[in-house]
Amino acid sequence: MNRVEQIARQCLEYMLAEGATDGACNASSGAKTEFYYESGELGLLRTVNNVSVSLKALVGTKKGTESLNSFSPEDLKRAAKEAVEAAKISKEDPAEGLPEEISVKRFEFGSLVPDRETMLLRLREFFDQLKAEYPSISVDTASIDHSASESVYCTTNGICLSVSKGLYSFSPMFMAREGEKTSSFNYYGAVFVAPDMPMLDLADGRRALEDSVRQVDPVPMEGKFTGEVIFTPGCFGSLLGSVEGNFLSDGVLIDGTSIWKDKLNAPVAAPCLRWSSRPRSEEIPGGYFMAGGYEAQNMELITDGVLKNFVLSRYGAKKTGRERSASAGGCYFVDGGDRSLQEMISTVKHGLLVARFSGGEPSGDGTMSGVAKNSFEIRDGKIVHAVSEAMISGNLAEMLKDITEISSERVNDGTSVLPWVKIKNIVISGQ
Amino acid sequence: MFQGSLESFSSFFADTELRRQCNRTRRIGLMNGDVISNATSEASGINARVFRAGRCGFASSPETDISAVERILKQASDNAAFLADRLPDAGGNLAPRAPVTHRGIWVPDRVPQREILEFLQQIDDYIATRYPQLAARYVGCSCLSLEKELRTNDGVYSYSFMPRSNISVSLTAMTKEGTPVDRYEIFGGAGVYAENFSDPALLYPRIDAVVEELMQKRDGVFADAGRKTCIIAPELAGMLAHEAVGHTAEADFVISGSVAGPYRGKEVASSIVTLTDFANTYNGQTLPTPIYVDDEGVEAKDAVLIDHGILTGWMHNRSSADRYGDPRTGNALAFGFADEPLIRMRNTAILPGTDRLEDMIASIDDGYYFTATGNGQADATGEFMFGITMGYEIKNGKLGQAIRDTTVSGVAFDLLKTVDMISDQMVWLNAGMCGKKQPFPVGMGGPHIRCKINVGGK
Repeated sequence: MNRVEQIARQCLEYMLAEGATDGACNASSGAKTEFYYESGELGLLRTVNNVSVSLKALVGTKKGTESLNSFSPEDLKRAAKEAVEAAKISKEDPAEGLPEEISVKRFEFGSLVPDRETMLLRLREFFDQLKAEYPSISVDTASIDHSASESVYCTTNGICLSVSKGLYSFSPMFMAREGEKTSSFNYYGAVFVAPDMPMLDLADGRRALEDSVRQVDPVPMEGKFTGEVIFTPGCFGSLLGSVEGNFLSDGVLIDGTSIWKDKLNAPVAAPCLRWSSRPRSEEIPGGYFMAGGYEAQNMELITDGVLKNFVLSRYGAKKTGRERSASAGGCYFVDGGDRSLQEMISTVKHGLLVARFSGGEPSGDGTMSGVAKNSFEIRDGKIVHAVSEAMISGNLAEMLKDITEISSERVNDGTSVLPWVKIKNIVISGQ
Repeated sequence: MFQGSLESFSSFFADTELRRQCNRTRRIGLMNGDVISNATSEASGINARVFRAGRCGFASSPETDISAVERILKQASDNAAFLADRLPDAGGNLAPRAPVTHRGIWVPDRVPQREILEFLQQIDDYIATRYPQLAARYVGCSCLSLEKELRTNDGVYSYSFMPRSNISVSLTAMTKEGTPVDRYEIFGGAGVYAENFSDPALLYPRIDAVVEELMQKRDGVFADAGRKTCIIAPELAGMLAHEAVGHTAEADFVISGSVAGPYRGKEVASSIVTLTDFANTYNGQTLPTPIYVDDEGVEAKDAVLIDHGILTGWMHNRSSADRYGDPRTGNALAFGFADEPLIRMRNTAILPGTDRLEDMIASIDDGYYFTATGNGQADATGEFMFGITMGYEIKNGKLGQAIRDTTVSGVAFDLLKTVDMISDQMVWLNAGMCGKKQPFPVGMGGPHIRCKINVGGK
């Protein structure tokens, strides 16, 4: 038993001693090493050492939680006492409880030791390559980091899931500059197991940089029309995140406001859409092993346009009388189509290629509008120029039904694998 | 409150900051009467930042005893040396800080969790009983405090305690088509819970107003897309000041190529527009995010960004102020004990003018009055968007129907040139969190503003 597991088990004992009838504890210990570039300099090397403990105390079906970042016995005893006291004053909720599936497992992934020399080498290489290949790009911030953690989830009914994980990530934010002209911010990011390739070649980095170079002198959008929009993988992933939050998750299903609450096994999207959540896929290092006290599994969300699963926690499932979902969401995969991005562009009469959507939170019914950032106008099958001040409006639920094409190319950023997606009937407006 | 003190600590070897910090939170939430969250948390620790040859090493630890302090000072020094040994000199050492001492006041947050839960349950009961037609309701309390102690090698000592406490209410109604419409409002502000909340009944009139707005919105219309003359309420004026202008005037963004860079000393707004990032006080009033000494140990000063339409300056950390030869403004702030200070805003506001809101509404034939926003974003070009969660049509000088959620956008300096009326009242808001790398609680403020803005919609 390692130290983190000892801490977690100790916390369970403290909670039981305070009067809890059941309890769960998440404990972790980790370190993050980050090289950070800002204000024109690779100026910071940061090492963050931290621990965390989250306690869930149950008194019958009343719950209290407490979290802290200390392993000292005095602090843990105090936290256990406060969690139990919070539970005692809470309200009975029959949906509360511990996971019933008793599992004892350990997962290991990646190296816990950062390779600082290679991290610095890759960051310097990134800037050397930028200077040579994309001289108009100005980087606002860039970081390469390594996060290592040892974590464990233990319960009083015998569950013990532990994870040892070390991963790298890279994320630059940049713009293109020519004289006084500046493009919009753009970015990409990726999660990876080892820093064994140039950072420029991660995810769709080169495409994002090339787009920014071409967006330094955008043309303000004018007029208003209904057209087709091709969303980049990253942008489509953000929209899927809103779909999960607005239609599929605990909150909207528990309060009954999800417009998809009665749509399980019914068509909700174009038949060409197959969307899944795969936290255990070997294709993405940025997945996860645990989902709310259970071992996470991959699951289908939409298959051939039909809704196959909600994203419900144990609590959400109990509250709604539905099945708990195998994954906790995210880690999206969308199957590729049979046409290339170029072929998709060639069939757009008038529309946009949108890399970033900057908008208000979609409302409960899916209505959304916002600015199409880092975007190009498409006319008669060709990209004509970058645009600014272009707004797009639509409805999330309707947009999934209006998908007309999905690209054969997909981008893997280490957390998801997504294609370009074309959607019709989007209102596009400008000045 | 911290035990012991860093004030007499003197084992420094170079240009060094040593910061001890504790962030405390409480979060209680009721969804349709069920307690869905009932949590408290504490994240505390200590960090050191050491400068060497223009590079910086940072290290942090959750332990705060003297051996941990010595350990992170060494780790931060080693990190600085790692960079300095492998990279060219990045400009030598920064000028020392001016010695300053600040001793803020700690206010205990002694209200038991039980009392807050009962307070929320009373509010929830009021809503459930009085408004049974609502489809869903959420009532929550969120408290956050940042307690910091800072010591530098050149004689700066600062202790600060910055609490805020908010109660939020989110209500959902169904339209006749069966789709949900919601309205969200947040109460409270700077201060610990007991300073903001004493009797739930005091909130009932404000909740009644939220329900009334929700019903107006439920029966409302979709905004018409296009460029319109509009009035934006103080909440949006504050967001405009922070998101659309403020970020472009943060010196790190300016160095990277923000659109504001070339415009210093030039006209970027109508002459009635003045915009300032206040350090701690406005007209004798302590502001929502009062900063007296920043997390680099610099005494905080107001940063005037736009003075009667002219872009006058930037917000700085030590490095950027020295680079531009500007006075240091004390804008370097960190959220948690494991975070490094970033250049960021404190209390950013457009200053009031002389117009009356009624006259402003009467002056518009066809436009909108936007009263609430959910979120906002902006980028280096000054192009911004705000989500609009409440607003009304203005037709022939009078308020018309409420509108459903929409989004507005524009380019900051273009929009500011269209400002032709500014109301005479000033409203400060403090529930906002800025998301630049780390979260950070910020203050925003402003009056009502008449301007031209792009509206998203059908």
